[in-house]
Amino acid sequence: MHKLKLMAAVAAVFVATPALAQEITVWDVNVSRNPTYYDAAKAAFEKAHPGATLNFVGQPDAEYYNLLNTALASKTGPDVIWANGGAQAKNLVGGLLPLNDKLPDLIKSIVGQSAFTVDGKLYFIPFTLQGHVAYYNKDMYKAVGLDPEKPPTTWAEVTKMCDTFKAAGKACFMMANKEGYEAEFFLSEMANQSLTAQQQADWASGKLHWSDAPIKAILQTWVDTYKNGWYQEGGNSQTMFLDEFTLFEQGTAANVWGLLSNVAHWKAFEKDMGADKVGVYPMPSPTVASDQHEGSPGVPLDGGVGYGVNKDSAHIDLALDAIKTLLSPEVLSVLVNDAGIVPANTAVDVSSIPSPGLKQIMGWLATRSVPTTHANASAAELDEWHRQSQALLNGDITVDAAAAALDKVQAQAKPQK
Amino acid sequence: MTASIHTGPVQRPRRRPNKSRRAETRMALLFVAPAILLVLVFRIIPLLWGFGISLTSATATAPGEFIGAGNYLRALNDPNFIASIANAGIILLSVPVFITIPMILAILIDQGVPGRGFFRSVYFFPVVLSSVIIGSIFSIVLGFNGSLNALLKFVGLPGVDWLGRSATALPVTLAIQSWSTFGMGVLIFLAGLSTVPKDMVEAARLEGAKMWQIWWHVIIPSLRPIIEFSTVITTIGLLTSMFGLIYVLTGGGPGTATTVPEYLIWSAQGRLNQPSYASALSIILFVITGALAWLQIRMMSRNTNL
Amino acid sequence: MAGAGKRQRLALRIAAIPMALLGVSCLYPIFFAVNNSLKTRHDYLLDRFGLVVNPTLDNFVQAWTRSHLDQYFLNSVIATIGAVILLTVVSSLAGFALAALRFPYRRFLFVVILSSLMIPVQVVLVPYMRTMVALSLINTHVGLILSYTAFFLPFSVYMMTSFYSGLPRELIEAAKIDGAKLLQVWWHVMVPLGMPALVTLGIINTLNCWNDVLIALLTMQKNRTLMVGISALKGEFSDQIPLFTAGIVIAAAPIVILYVIFQRRIVSGIAVGAVKG
Repeated sequence: MHKLKLMAAVAAVFVATPALAQEITVWDVNVSRNPTYYDAAKAAFEKAHPGATLNFVGQPDAEYYNLLNTALASKTGPDVIWANGGAQAKNLVGGLLPLNDKLPDLIKSIVGQSAFTVDGKLYFIPFTLQGHVAYYNKDMYKAVGLDPEKPPTTWAEVTKMCDTFKAAGKACFMMANKEGYEAEFFLSEMANQSLTAQQQADWASGKLHWSDAPIKAILQTWVDTYKNGWYQEGGNSQTMFLDEFTLFEQGTAANVWGLLSNVAHWKAFEKDMGADKVGVYPMPSPTVASDQHEGSPGVPLDGGVGYGVNKDSAHIDLALDAIKTLLSPEVLSVLVNDAGIVPANTAVDVSSIPSPGLKQIMGWLATRSVPTTHANASAAELDEWHRQSQALLNGDITVDAAAAALDKVQAQAKPQK
Repeated sequence: MTASIHTGPVQRPRRRPNKSRRAETRMALLFVAPAILLVLVFRIIPLLWGFGISLTSATATAPGEFIGAGNYLRALNDPNFIASIANAGIILLSVPVFITIPMILAILIDQGVPGRGFFRSVYFFPVVLSSVIIGSIFSIVLGFNGSLNALLKFVGLPGVDWLGRSATALPVTLAIQSWSTFGMGVLIFLAGLSTVPKDMVEAARLEGAKMWQIWWHVIIPSLRPIIEFSTVITTIGLLTSMFGLIYVLTGGGPGTATTVPEYLIWSAQGRLNQPSYASALSIILFVITGALAWLQIRMMSRNTNL
Repeated sequence: MAGAGKRQRLALRIAAIPMALLGVSCLYPIFFAVNNSLKTRHDYLLDRFGLVVNPTLDNFVQAWTRSHLDQYFLNSVIATIGAVILLTVVSSLAGFALAALRFPYRRFLFVVILSSLMIPVQVVLVPYMRTMVALSLINTHVGLILSYTAFFLPFSVYMMTSFYSGLPRELIEAAKIDGAKLLQVWWHVMVPLGMPALVTLGIINTLNCWNDVLIALLTMQKNRTLMVGISALKGEFSDQIPLFTAGIVIAAAPIVILYVIFQRRIVSGIAVGAVKG
């Protein structure tokens, strides 16, 4: 009897405790990087909910998903979870609350949802949009006699540009494939015009295979551009973040495939190089699909990073409010101004940001956004592509063999009914 | 594990009363109990539990279903896993180097090489620093436009993409691992050398034995238990603790050149959300490591009392 | 024999040269970390290897205050000291028993402890977490201390067993025959004799506990340890290197200082020969 009473008392302590301290915990990896955003969110949330605290815990980036998976499996996860859009977010949905009917008003003004949607249900709300474009060094263009205000708009122009740089002994594009990210970006950039909308959808569902013509052509282009000497030497062991972009800024290559939000983007390049020394253009693809237009390459665009709610959270309502706060125009604009992101919340106004690059980009996003092909591949395929892309550059494997290996992984990750 | 003094089993005086023997047993078990308890709760039981998970298709958020040996069969058919096992084999070939260098350095320090205080201190510094820092430094030094290639170009040799080409990635990684851990080996051997009977060394020297003879016939035999310990620990360390360095240096690449089983386990657990597959790979790694350690102990302590 | 002695001294002097080169190379990472911790982010991006031009202590200030490294430092100290004490005592007792005493299942128990050395950490992560939750040890200092002890015990026990079995049996037998209780034998014979090994083990365990990220990350979300806090400084895009290296310097400094002080004791002359003589 004593034992039962003791157990009940202990249990009461553990049950009572969460209700006493209303603390919403958010796990994120960028807390020390963008402190103003988190401070603003915390202030706004705590003002609206007296007695509750919003607690941001910065997690080590390398261990984040390992930690998160372990925590979810042992029910010790946070209330609000940050995740990268694409494969990583989709892997986690088993532990998250579908948000479609929880935050309908907010979701109405959010774009880039597909990176966080599985089977029609939205599990994370994106707050940044991430996309892929090419940035170029105007001084280097000038030095080899190219017009710095006329970046290439077709593949033929790209080839001509790269031949010019090659003749001048300069690298045309940056290559940084140690972590495999360059290969991922390459996939999306090359697919932006060469896949029809239907093919992009088939790719997402696993029906379009690596060994099918459109994708295999991209693998071949990967090898061919390397053999043609487009890239600087040692690209296979070059780290992308942040070395590649620093090297680009220092003039190692004339062009680099960069991003739209947070890093390797218009804000960073314009700040480090000067707004008049760097330009941006959407990357043309080698072939142009039937529903695409030659001369108007698209911008692969999707949700960048987002927040979701742990379905085992003890404070679901407060967690949802926290997300609303984090994505509100007042708070999100702090991130826009300080870190330079393209917000996923269309209610946030970016027209006052004094960046020529951003203005061009927003124009393209309005009419030319396409799916981000690599974000629609499974984590296992991307892992394998990481390996195969390095082997392809080293000449250790043929395109056919690589495609076959990738198909095998794809079949396992996305079994077709 | 035997002291060098004995030549045969210890003779037990038969006059030992049984009561004392029982007391000894009781005390001994008491001494061992805390260790056994902690290891059981935090290591052995989770291992068995993990084995259980490896027989299912669990993910982080769903318990999955029982699939028996499914994960193990998948591992055997996984070209990346096979490659990682091959890499593990190559890594193990370098164990003698990982043992010998620290041992020689420790003996030199013990024998009074000039500057030994300095060496004793600084050799340990790479061990103190996390593999992330060491990996970051060497990533830059060994990059194509890094310091090493600059040095080579200075003497007229062509640069090499040390970490980006399949042939050089693994040996270079092993060299860095060796550099960052040898200080630990030196420390352990130094501690072991303190148990070498100094009077035996003196006696041998007085009898005119050359330095290397003293080493070979007196010092190294006394270090037998430490050499065995170091070999087993190094093997286990190479198979289960190289992840941090590899992650920063090469990310497991290029291709599968530096992919080791531990890397695949981390990837399956943390990136692919397949903890059941990660568990299966871990069990396989555990069995391999155990078999190797057992072999090593058997080979080395032929007249062990244990 | 003077000739042999001189030759040996010459050989040692020649050996000192490559050893010195090696020693200098071991100093470089410390220099790299300290050098870069004094740079601003921008300066670092411009020149990663060069000597710092405008040294600033901002990174240290930010790491210590804004990133709460002062709190984390204390948590690491508590966990490390607790675990190292526990590890030293438990492994010395167990090593003594396994190496020198006779009891049933001795070999089996040794194999059990040794085999847990080979368990890769990943396989036990989720079961370990669930165990910790079930025992209510999550987010407690005691829980972290016990976890560290459990994780580093196999290595410690193996090492102490190896060392103790290398000691001459007569000493232990003599003490036992003298009628001393085993606990006294342990305290008066095994601990002093094992001092070099115990100090070594203490250093290694201090290092392991202090530098651990994974176990502390899983176990102590509320009161983080130092290395966890530091690895969170790196951020998603590795562009906070100066801040990160400042954290590394803060973390490495105590260990380096401790090591330099204690490493003398390993060869302090409490050698077996002295005891026998």
